[in-house]
Amino acid sequence: MPDKVAGRRRRAAFFLALPSFVVFIGLGFVPLALVAIWSLWSFDPDTYWIKPVWSLASYAALLKSGRATVLLQTAGLAALTATVSTLLAVPAATVVALLSGPRRATLLVALFTIPFFTSGLVRAFAWRLVLGREGIINNLLIGIGVVHAPVEWLLFSDFAVVVGMVAAHLPLAIIPIVLAFARIESSVIRASQDLGAGFWTMFSGIVLPLIMPGVLAGFLFVFVVAIGTSMEIQLLGGAGASSIAIMINDVMRVVNFPLAFAIATVVAILLIVVIIVADRALELSRFFEDRSA
Amino acid sequence: MTLYSIVGNRTKGGRPLFSIITVLCLMIMYAPALYLLLASLNPDEQLGLVAPTRYSLTWYVTLLDDHRLFRALEESTIVALATAALATPIGLAAALGYRATTRMRSIFVVVILSTMLVPGTIEGLGLSTILRLLRVSPSWVTVTLGHLLWTLPFAIIVSLIGLSAVKPSTIAAARDLGAGPMRAFVDVTLPLIRGNLVSSFVFAFLLSLNEYARAYYLVGRQNTVPLYMFGAMNSGASPTIYAFSGAVLVVSFAAVALIFVGAARRQSLSRVIARLRARST
Repeated sequence: MPDKVAGRRRRAAFFLALPSFVVFIGLGFVPLALVAIWSLWSFDPDTYWIKPVWSLASYAALLKSGRATVLLQTAGLAALTATVSTLLAVPAATVVALLSGPRRATLLVALFTIPFFTSGLVRAFAWRLVLGREGIINNLLIGIGVVHAPVEWLLFSDFAVVVGMVAAHLPLAIIPIVLAFARIESSVIRASQDLGAGFWTMFSGIVLPLIMPGVLAGFLFVFVVAIGTSMEIQLLGGAGASSIAIMINDVMRVVNFPLAFAIATVVAILLIVVIIVADRALELSRFFEDRSA
Repeated sequence: MTLYSIVGNRTKGGRPLFSIITVLCLMIMYAPALYLLLASLNPDEQLGLVAPTRYSLTWYVTLLDDHRLFRALEESTIVALATAALATPIGLAAALGYRATTRMRSIFVVVILSTMLVPGTIEGLGLSTILRLLRVSPSWVTVTLGHLLWTLPFAIIVSLIGLSAVKPSTIAAARDLGAGPMRAFVDVTLPLIRGNLVSSFVFAFLLSLNEYARAYYLVGRQNTVPLYMFGAMNSGASPTIYAFSGAVLVVSFAAVALIFVGAARRQSLSRVIARLRARST
């Protein structure tokens, strides 16, 4: 009898999940697979499209004319963004989960989550007003006499890009740590206090190791999302600043389809591998499960 | 027993340091947006803050004459409504399926995370290529397909959170009283997760409304709002773009804040009910 029930449940689960599979596979996976295959085809000057002549030319072109540099630069900026975000997120998540009562914790989680659902474009654009020559920071610095002329490197620079990206992606670093805090058994903290550990001993010896999966997950989320972003770089970056996404757009504009597909394939495969490894190592699936489970 | 009540005030200087960093986090997330909002109330051509007595909605009034903006807004609204209307039920069904079986959960999580984290440019590029192959001409429908892929993971997660709060014993009680699985779902589960379904719809709507990278590849002749705004921001921005940015911020902040207030209300209500029940037994 139980087998029959289990079978029915499994079938019901399958049919319930079916529409989402159709979306994920049909709109996500199949197009990516096609892009990967077509990255090995060649450009057809007659039709301005591609033709099934197999070639690795676009992968060779990936390494030429500074494209590899753009890949590395994007990864470097993303890593810097993820590092700064994580350094800010650990104390912030600690305040939410360890140092606030339930009421203030709820408020803080809401404050940290709300911006995620508002326009990233507008929030990046707003940094122009803050960091510009006539912006609030330069006016302040001149006002108190620290500098006499506006600081130029504040805007249209890597500095501005990293600031904009940290502000945009910080929630992705904070939320996984808050979730990791929720899994800490309170008895462990109590035991450390009974044994006479002060705050910093408890924090570095007990809390930090226990929230480490959340810290790493947050770092990875910010890194991966920052790799794919273009808005902050286009609005806040210096002249000629590029990123993987901008490069793909540019290559598509000059109709070099196989090359655009090759860049997309390499980046997508690398990111998906990172996500699978992270899922295995950090057991990300646990974040989706009930606390008791 | 919460962690907070155990640690209490014995934080040896940890609290001030961590609190300062938290305030810094909130500042970099909110201050620029707030500054932009105040600057958009400046009636002069020149940017910057003016005294509150000189605040004016001049640039917001000029917005009303921008017909291209309204056409973009119309297109974005259609796309966002269609996206949310599709993502919410599909997300709920997927969440129910996820909870009904323990098989393949890890694959499901990887698929959800990959979809969320693969760059929008790459998803948009891939989708536009396959649509070109199928000879589907770009329109609001193609943007909606891209946005469905983008918002579905969020819709699933919001539904999963809602379902995890439904006590299995409540459903079991309904079943014991003779309700079939469908009846138990409609009469018990659905009312309990109604708030999450509203959140799921609003989040999908807002994520779609603000999405740029996928729409870049999938729009037809009519631009969506972010595409229109991006153009305006990079072409010697007239002050109207600040007004429009301000309007976008106010509307989306208000919508999400309402959702959170609603969720907090329900939570405190259920806490009150739990307390009353505990007292009566």
